[in-house]
This record gives sequence, C-alpha cells and structure tokens, in this order.
Amino acid sequence: MSEYLIEVKDLCKKFPIKGGLFGREIGAVNAVNNVSFKIKKGETLGLVGESGCGKTTLGRSILRLIEPTSGEIIFNGQNIINYSAAEMRAVRRKMQIIFQDPYASLNPRMTVGDILAEPMEIHGLHTDKNARRKRLLELLNQVQLPSDALNKYPHEFSGGQRQRICIARALAVEPEFIVCDEPVSALDVSVQAQVVNLLMDLQRDLGLTFLFIAHDLKVVEYISNRVAVMYLGNMIEVAESSELYGHARHPYTKALFSAIPHASTAGRAGRIILEGDIPSPMNPPAGCHFNPRCWNATEECRKTFPPITNQSATHQYRCYNPIK
Amino acid sequence: MKSEKILEVKDLVVEFQTDRGTVKAVNGVNFDVYKGKTIGIVGESGSGKSVTALAIMGLIPNPPGRVAGGDIRFNGKSLVNIDPSEMRKIRGNKIAMIFQEPMTSLNPVFTIGNQIEEVIELHQPHLDATQRKEKAINMLRLVGIPSPEKRVEEYPHQLSGGMRQRVMIAIALSCEPDILIADEPTTALDVTIQAQILELMKKLQKELGMGIILITHDLGVVAETCDDVAVMYCGQIVESADVKTLFNHPSHPYTRGLMDSIPSFDSTSGHKKERLQTIEGMVPSLFNLPSGCNFQERCSKVTDACRGVNGDPVLKPATDESHLVACFNPLK
Repeated sequence: MSEYLIEVKDLCKKFPIKGGLFGREIGAVNAVNNVSFKIKKGETLGLVGESGCGKTTLGRSILRLIEPTSGEIIFNGQNIINYSAAEMRAVRRKMQIIFQDPYASLNPRMTVGDILAEPMEIHGLHTDKNARRKRLLELLNQVQLPSDALNKYPHEFSGGQRQRICIARALAVEPEFIVCDEPVSALDVSVQAQVVNLLMDLQRDLGLTFLFIAHDLKVVEYISNRVAVMYLGNMIEVAESSELYGHARHPYTKALFSAIPHASTAGRAGRIILEGDIPSPMNPPAGCHFNPRCWNATEECRKTFPPITNQSATHQYRCYNPIK
Repeated sequence: MKSEKILEVKDLVVEFQTDRGTVKAVNGVNFDVYKGKTIGIVGESGSGKSVTALAIMGLIPNPPGRVAGGDIRFNGKSLVNIDPSEMRKIRGNKIAMIFQEPMTSLNPVFTIGNQIEEVIELHQPHLDATQRKEKAINMLRLVGIPSPEKRVEEYPHQLSGGMRQRVMIAIALSCEPDILIADEPTTALDVTIQAQILELMKKLQKELGMGIILITHDLGVVAETCDDVAVMYCGQIVESADVKTLFNHPSHPYTRGLMDSIPSFDSTSGHKKERLQTIEGMVPSLFNLPSGCNFQERCSKVTDACRGVNGDPVLKPATDESHLVACFNPLK
C-alpha cells in the first residue's frame, strides 16, 4: 500500500469547440493539460488560480464527473480511469465533493434529513431505520447543526449552515477523499472562518484527505499542507504552503501572492501589478502561457513550454527564468 | 487636515415594508465624504451597506422601501425630498455609481461606445456626436483599455470581466462626478485584476479629485485604499475611524472579530497553525433584533448593559475624538 491515497498522472481534459454548418469540431480548449500530482493520506493539497485556469475542471475530472480525455487517476492503488459506471459508483463512496454555492447545491424540496439520507440509500448503508436515524444525528453533530434540522428545508438555513449541510452530505458515506471546490467563497468572512475550522477539525478526527480548490490564497495557504498553482490548464508550481508563500519561484505565483490586499496598514513594498488579462484558453500563446504578462520573459519562453524543474522533493515549478 | 466636505449623511433611516412587517435596513447612519478622500463602508451581507449607497443615489425602490428619516446633503443641498427631475441631474452627473457585477450591469445589445455616449448625451447635451465619440474614446483610454478606438465598437460579451469593470468605471467617470460610489467593485474579479482596478481607482481619484465611497466586505481592500472607515452591523455603524486607527486599535469586538477571522500570512514558520478565530453564531434577523446591542449574542464581552438595561449603545469617542465606537465595553 503506497503512502499516497490519490495519484494523478498526465491528466488532460479537452473540450471540443464546435462550429460551422454541421457542428464540426473546429478546435479544442485544453482546460487541463498534462497535470500530475499525488496526495498523501490525511494531507490537504490546495489548488489555486484565477477564473478559467481549469481548477474546477481538474477537481471534477478526478471524480470523473467530467470525463477526462487522457491520463491516469490512481485511487487507493487502483487506476479508475476506465472503470464502468457501476464500478465508479462504488469508488465514489470513497471520494466525495463539496460545491461552491450552498444555495444551488441543495434540493429545495427535500428536507435536510432526506438530503443526508439519499447518499446512504444509494450506497445501501445503515438500512435499518434506527441505525440510519442514529447516523443522521451523528452527522449533524459532526457539522455542529442542531438535531431539529432534520425536518427542516434548506431555505430555513443561512449560507454557512447550508454549507455545513453540504459537508454532512459528503460525509454521509464515510469517504476518504473529498474535493472541496471553493467551499467558502460564497460565505461572509466570519462564517468562512467557522467553516474552515470545521473542515480542519473533521480532517483531524476522521483522517480525511482534501483537494482544496479556491481562488482565495489566504484561505488555501492556511488550510493546505501543499499548494499547487494553475495557469491556463497547466500546473506551474507546487510546493509546501509556507515555502510557496515565502519563496515562490514562478513569477506568476509571486504576482498572485503580491496582489492580495493585506488587512493591515503597515505599508509593504513590492506589489507586482500584472498587465493584461489571462489569455483565452482556446488560443494560448506559444511557449510558456504566461510569457505575454511576464516581466522576465525571454526568447526561449516564447518558443517552448518550460519543463518541470525540481527545486526539492516537494517543490517543483515550470519556468526558464525563475525568481531567485 | 480635512479637505472640503461634499456629502453629509445624517441619521439616515431606510425602511422596507414586507409581508412580515417593517424592517429598518439602515438605522441612523452618519458619515461624511470629503473631496479627494475615500471612505470605506465595511460589513457582512445584510448589514445595510448597499442600501445606504442606493439611498444616496435616490434609487431605493419605493414602494416597498423609503427613506424614513435623516438627511443626505450634497454640497449643502438635501437629496431626500428632492424633485425627481432635479435628482436626475445630480445622479450620474455629480454622483456616480459602479456596481458589483460587471457581467450584468452593461447592456448586451449596445456597443461599449453607445453606452458611454448615452451618459454623455444625457448629462452634457452641448456636445455633438463627434465630440461625444471622442470623449468616449478618451474615457476608455483613461481607464487603461488598450486600443480604445477599436474597443468602442465592441459589445460587452467581447470583453473580459476586468475590462467590463473598466468600462463601468469609464461610464461612471464620463461626467466627471464629484462623488463615486463603488459597491463591491472588485468582488467578482480575480486578485490580479482586482489589484489593477484598485490601482486605477486610486490614480483617477488623484487626477480628478473626487470623493469615493467604497463599499466592500474585504478588510484587505479597505486597508489598502481607504482614508476613513465605517464598520456596519445590522443597519448601524458600530465603529468609525481613520484607517490607521481602526486597524491598529479596533475598539468594537465585532471589528476585532472580523479582523481575526481572516487567515494571515505572517505565520510562515511551520505547520499547523492555530485555529482561526471566529465570531460565533450569525447575524441576527432584522425582523427580530435584540434590545440593546445587536451584537450581544455573538460577543465575548457581553454584560447586562449590552442587553439594553440603559438603552442602546451609541457612537462615542474611543481612543480619540475622531474614532467613534458604539459599545458599552470597548476593547482597549
């Protein structure tokens, strides 16, 4: 048994672009491009990047909620990439997802009890009535919701409480791995902190492994052991979170961290304001995709895509002219 | 040294009639806007910050809403019971607003140029069509849109989110307003684009000397762009001060709680860090506010006084005259 719970190798997802009279394929968007990473048991890998960089597509591809184009996903030693729908269902008991918008991801016509019982129903868990009720109450307790929540409907809860319901639903089938896709982005700061703490407590108590996707670097840096940065479908840097913040090598990572406004008035130097927008993924620039916005770009960067450089066992980046 | 005061909000009360009774979304709010300065209004969802902005613009939907009390004075002139045609001359012309959603606040069937020119035509009727177009192009150049001559002919869907927000700013600034109200202008944008937009607003403020009201929930944005800050909770200002004082000596437990609940980067030494400080519970319903301090149920310093024995807390000077806090047990 390897120490890694999940290992992703060269994962690609291409979305075809259809056009013309007969809807022929006229191109493709490489939403996820040759991404590889491993996550240890009980570890949190953070995934950051701007909108459109492919982080959500990557998260969903791992669960095969979006069918990857190529690559390997090794979960608990099994390559699940070619699993049938029935086999996949059994695997999904062990891998769950929490979505960004707690307002859209709960069925408004189901009570919280039914919402939490549905995954157990599907996977045939706790079929005895009393055992199921016991499990439902245990779940509510785990996410710190009152037990009378069982008979209420989602609209009776605030955003933070709804996200707790979503977390409880993911926990209902006792997963080992949870993809958290922007779980706190839609919440107010004070509530966001409550949910982040809850996720960290659950991880400690239940030994969960997280892929934590967010665009808020502060939250990601806080909750993750390691952080990966994506830009236009490619993973451009991955490192332990404190290392990444202090010693980023890729200019984009550096710029991303420097763009975050700090809640203090102590002046700080060295904000890097990037010029321009993310290029369209339909037509990415040749060479390193970041080169049109990069202040260190050279001729080489405009020609070929940089290979992975190993800074250390835990720190890799893709850049020809890394920051010293 | 304070510059010229251009807008004064005094004891503003905004009420909404609902099926469940009347709610006060804004309840006795006071603040001033000065020329060339930025005031930040911070608060969580439902704290009344956007309603305050709409009240200044005279855009509270009536019914169900109305300004039920207080006054808004622009250059000494009250905007509360002003004739709608008078207000139309001020709105957009003297006081302009940019909204949170750059994706939905532009009309998809008109070109960018059309939409900027429309504003110029309404408020500066003396310009002819060529001058309007020229001005529209200049505005786009001012907000840093590359090749503006080409962009004026484009439609909103051809632009990215950051570019659209620039267009919104261009529209808002095309009449050289005295006051710009920015309601969460960067919330829908990525951090690198947010940095560009905030930088742009600061630069334009310097050039045009306008007063800015910046509404946000992000304390980081406030710390970096504002001169003064007002923290709102349940329709009231609970603390106000200049930005340095507020961040260095937050006096209201709510302000302190907000600051503590943001993860910070300075703990770079090793993992795992301590838990995030949180504010327990959630914002009370406006239909069912407790008597006394609205924050009492979530506050760690709560005493009998907070439960309304001697009335509600009012804004009082804390560390100095300009630092006001509405709390019976302010932090030292």
